[in-house]
Amino acid sequence: MNGEYILEVRNLKKYFPADRGLFGRVRHFVHAVDEVSFEIKHGESLGLVGESGCGKTTTGKVIVKLEEPTSGELFLSGENVGKYVGPRKRDYHRKVQMIFQDPYESLNPRMTIFDIIAEPLNIHGIGNLKEREERVADLLQEVGLTPPSSFMWRYPHELSGGQRQRVAIARALVLNPTFVVADEPTSMLDVSIRTGIMDLMMELRQAHNMSYLYITHDLAVARYMCERIAVMYLGKIVEISETEELLSNPLHPYTRALLTAVPVPDPEFSRGEPEIMGSVTKPIDPPPRCRFYDRCPIRTKDCETSDHPPLVEILPGHFVACYEVEKRKQG
Amino acid sequence: MPLLSVNDLVMYYKTKMGYVRAVDGITFTLDRGESLGIVGESGCGKTSISMTLLRLLPENGEFQRGHVYFDDGSGPVDLIGLPEHEMRKYRWKGISMVFQAAMNSLNPVYTVGDQIVEAILNHYPDTSFDEARAKVAELFKLVGLDPKRMDQYPHQYSGGMKQRAVIALALSCDPKIIIADEPTTALDVIVQDRILKEMKRIQRKLNMGMIYISHDIAVIAEVSDKIAVMYAGKFVELADSVTIFKRPRHPYTFGLMSSFPSITGEKKKLFTIPGEPPNLLNPPPGCRFAPRCPNATKKCSEEEPNFVEIEPGHFLACWNPIKQEGERA
Repeated sequence: MNGEYILEVRNLKKYFPADRGLFGRVRHFVHAVDEVSFEIKHGESLGLVGESGCGKTTTGKVIVKLEEPTSGELFLSGENVGKYVGPRKRDYHRKVQMIFQDPYESLNPRMTIFDIIAEPLNIHGIGNLKEREERVADLLQEVGLTPPSSFMWRYPHELSGGQRQRVAIARALVLNPTFVVADEPTSMLDVSIRTGIMDLMMELRQAHNMSYLYITHDLAVARYMCERIAVMYLGKIVEISETEELLSNPLHPYTRALLTAVPVPDPEFSRGEPEIMGSVTKPIDPPPRCRFYDRCPIRTKDCETSDHPPLVEILPGHFVACYEVEKRKQG
Repeated sequence: MPLLSVNDLVMYYKTKMGYVRAVDGITFTLDRGESLGIVGESGCGKTSISMTLLRLLPENGEFQRGHVYFDDGSGPVDLIGLPEHEMRKYRWKGISMVFQAAMNSLNPVYTVGDQIVEAILNHYPDTSFDEARAKVAELFKLVGLDPKRMDQYPHQYSGGMKQRAVIALALSCDPKIIIADEPTTALDVIVQDRILKEMKRIQRKLNMGMIYISHDIAVIAEVSDKIAVMYAGKFVELADSVTIFKRPRHPYTFGLMSSFPSITGEKKKLFTIPGEPPNLLNPPPGCRFAPRCPNATKKCSEEEPNFVEIEPGHFLACWNPIKQEGERA
């Protein structure tokens, strides 16, 4: 293990073409992920929270290299991943896995559960058939699909949503990854099933000494699953801090609005009014100023003319990207 | 007589493999100005209840028995017995509905204003076009939309605005009851927050009855005066919302409440309900929750518990309810 961090993301950018003009010339870009930097410690689970379209899934896909970044660097255990080719790239794909949101779409309906879970072993040429069968049986046991023999030769359509997501988790674990990107793994599941999957993911993380990037739109789920939370808005991380600190002392105006808007399962609890204007837009060729400017309740003249604010450590371990918060802290 | 009283409503879907018992003996009442939240997991029959109330069943939906008495002051009418042309007078004018994924229920080739005008002219044939336009402008203001946007098309609206437009459409014929079926599920939290507050405000202002259907207990907690907890085609518990949250008696209600993470209060270990909901083609005998219930006894899997009033306004179907001492803070 090299250093404190399993994964470091430096100035990651991913732009998508928004349109194609004559002769395929791209004139406008969606800034899906724009200069995002963060790091994840060994054994840590970092929650990436934001509304739909804020770039959280794109960030996850770039990390597992399902998308090539426009620019920026990734470090796994201190090593720059960008220049990996051939066997080293394969090795990276072994160590970094992803669990997708929809277990009804992410499993091939024509493959048996065994084939689905063993496919990565096949691709990486690990073990013979008998060894693969043993490995898959062990994993099924571990994700709570017991007895394994009764699941191994079935097809995804014979399984419920919760069971399918357990299969997806087993597939992600089959190559012994050190880092897993989990993209809303419980948002499609029912409440009574969801807790089981969340607890399973926490147990597996401990047992296999993995780290997670846990992508979710639900702050309550992020609180349950993650030690730290990063809040994303239109391709930028606007606040990042330890979970309880973030929830009890949100500093960025967007985080504050988001927290006020989350419904609370208590009929006697009365929430305030979220201080936020307008609605979310698409980050197509955004102006260089703060992405949150148009909706911000505390914006000033300076915010309009300055670049997007950098993430600044306002309190120990608590980073915020906002000029006003910074000023108020100093003043 | 309450605005709506539903008695032992039973509706099954007929399939090749047999009957799916989606709505199996539902009983409740709803008063003017009251909001009832129906909470349950997907496939438990929540949406089927509203479809049965409005008699908008698909071809294989078979009404079995029960009564739906609607009383807008001129005496109770059993909607179930009405012929279709009579029923049309109550649909939309008496009870209207905001559908799930309502954002996609607007017609893309008509302006939003025209679609609402059409609904008004259909139900009030004596209204002139200009009067209907004026009414739409009023409705737009009521739901927080700029009346100038009346002549725009749905694609020019954001998700939250479409949802508001659909609410305006549901309100267009002055319904006495509005059924909202997961109207905010596809929306982001900040937009959801605005729509929830708007619905609550309008419901109070117009003194309507509201039935709010959702799987999200936090959303239900925000909008409901009383809450019905539904499991596998049946109500298992119904009471005012504080009782449901603070003193639940049914083990399923308790499990549901304790398996929901929150951003407030102390972070605690969440409760997992073992197993999975039953297949409604062939539900287990006795109490349908018995196979997953920590309190289940032999009786639970043999005899079906009745849905009885255990204290004023608090209904429960359980042989071994959680004891009162087990009260949570």
